[in-house]
Amino acid sequence: MATIAQPAPTRRPNITEPGIQLPAVTSFEQVDNEILATLKPSPKWFIGLGLAVAAMLTGAMTWVFQIYWGLGNAGYAPPVMWGVYIITFVFWVGIGHAGTLISAVLFLFRAGYRTTIYRASEAMTVFAVLTAGLFPIIHIGRPWKFFWLIPYPNWRLLWPQFKSPLLWDVFAISTYLTISTTFLYVGLIPDIAVLRDRETNPIRKRIFAVLSLGWRNTDREWRHFARMYLFLAAFATPLVFSVHSVVSFDFAMSIVPGWHTTIFPPYFVGGAIFSGFAMVWTLIIPIRKWWGLEHYITLNHLDATAKVVLFTSIMVGCGYLSEFFIAWYGGVAPEQEYFWNRVFGQWWWSAWILLLCNMVFPLSLFSQKLRRNTYWLWTLGAIINIGMWYERWVIVVPSLSHEYEPWQWTDYVPTWVDMGFLLGSFGWFFMWFLLFIRQMPVVALAEVKEIIPPKMLREGHGHGGHH
Amino acid sequence: MQGVVGVFHHMDAVIDAAKALKAKRVGDLTVYSPTIHHEIEDALDEPISAVRRFTLIGGLLGWTFGYWAAIWASDYWPLQVGGKAIASWVPYTIIGFEMFVMVGCLSTVFGMMILSRIPRLVLNFGYDTRFTHGHYGIWVEAAPDRFGEIESMMKQHGAVEVRGER
Repeated sequence: MATIAQPAPTRRPNITEPGIQLPAVTSFEQVDNEILATLKPSPKWFIGLGLAVAAMLTGAMTWVFQIYWGLGNAGYAPPVMWGVYIITFVFWVGIGHAGTLISAVLFLFRAGYRTTIYRASEAMTVFAVLTAGLFPIIHIGRPWKFFWLIPYPNWRLLWPQFKSPLLWDVFAISTYLTISTTFLYVGLIPDIAVLRDRETNPIRKRIFAVLSLGWRNTDREWRHFARMYLFLAAFATPLVFSVHSVVSFDFAMSIVPGWHTTIFPPYFVGGAIFSGFAMVWTLIIPIRKWWGLEHYITLNHLDATAKVVLFTSIMVGCGYLSEFFIAWYGGVAPEQEYFWNRVFGQWWWSAWILLLCNMVFPLSLFSQKLRRNTYWLWTLGAIINIGMWYERWVIVVPSLSHEYEPWQWTDYVPTWVDMGFLLGSFGWFFMWFLLFIRQMPVVALAEVKEIIPPKMLREGHGHGGHH
Repeated sequence: MQGVVGVFHHMDAVIDAAKALKAKRVGDLTVYSPTIHHEIEDALDEPISAVRRFTLIGGLLGWTFGYWAAIWASDYWPLQVGGKAIASWVPYTIIGFEMFVMVGCLSTVFGMMILSRIPRLVLNFGYDTRFTHGHYGIWVEAAPDRFGEIESMMKQHGAVEVRGER
């Protein structure tokens, strides 16, 4: 799947040579020993998990409160009937984009920097989509009736409206969650076999034996596995682009000012990749530092991701500017009024947070020095995700609060219930992610072994450069 | 099941041994490697994986099911929207596409499992746990009267450990 190259004389972790991605990694045993060391619990891990569980419980208690006292406790102010819940839903779906993009799209493009970051990104995707999926259920107010969205034979003889973007969303999100989870799991099978063979606790060994499906690294298994992985990547690639396009249809299929635009699908997909990569930094940079994986997730890899972030920042920036241009050039008064109100009127503060975080700060990545500064990348990742949450705020709230009829114009202020769910969503996401990295290798063992030179009896035995 | 398992430390050694054993036709060969090495695949000269057939069939079934479910439900419970046809193929393409991806992917994974013969219940026979760590290996399924010949061939090509299993 990846390229095998000749051994390098250098052992400097972040300096590559042609064909060598990980100069400081020289043997398969080293890969197993160093990456599996991340599975040992550390005080930092426990502190992180404690904070995540506390935040998750805050969200859970908020949900209990809302179920008991009703949806009126959220900050909805008609006609603003989509608020923090749908904003946060779109935000988490966006975060979930980068994982499959990294594991599937970059795999097809043979981007070498994906190898060491894709496992954490895939896990991030699964847990982000799991988090996103909660919000439509929270938003409907009666979560026990969420299954009415799913088409199934029922005694009421009712079927959902297949022409509705909300139903397309149900199909898109459930397909994405299923395929992301499958992709994560099948990629883990060879690594679980490594865990199984090194485990001494009989109960855990039995669990790993079941999860690894009896995988033994045979030529037959690898041959079919490689072909399967290629096809899964080929399927997942259009899926990545379709999911956020379908989410954008939730808005673009309506006639609300600011929403009714054909630019939404690429604009949403670009933004999703942008925010997803930013969240990858949030997760990966502490992991590589705290577990000493700097020679696996190298500065070159982070530099490459920074270039993707810079590109997508420019892409979404063009999207923002195109919206303003089309509103002016289109000559539709409600659109012009809406965009003026968005940037210079009632919602100026949120629009400028968005523009600064997503268009201005990422321009710093033109500097190679900053692209290779992990502290700046982590900080910028947080800034971008604040900006991307506000992007969804700017899409949802200003449009609904400033539609065609002036007598309908209103304000929207989230309540503590909205904020409790927002906090709880971060807790839920980080809780699952931290539990995952405690049980499974956060860097893919089998794929890292593939990019380091195998041991040879004969010097100069050629293996370079083919797949 | 009986045969000989050899443990190798080097990739070129295992490839040479596999080629020699295959040329001698001593029995069914299984080569173990810690990760994918296409050199091993080339040495064994195996056909292209048939996983693609599962992918094609699954994808077509999913696509058909997606369109069918949307059209059937619309016909059974007709909801007129904006003067559009009851069964509108444009919006239903989204349902068809999602089901195409879902069923196509799951059938691909199913195909891989069938062809790789996993899940496997018996793990230990003809296997060594070093094969998932850093070593290579060869398992040759053969009658006991050929064990000596196979063992000497493996050792000759650099096996660090050889043992018969029956």
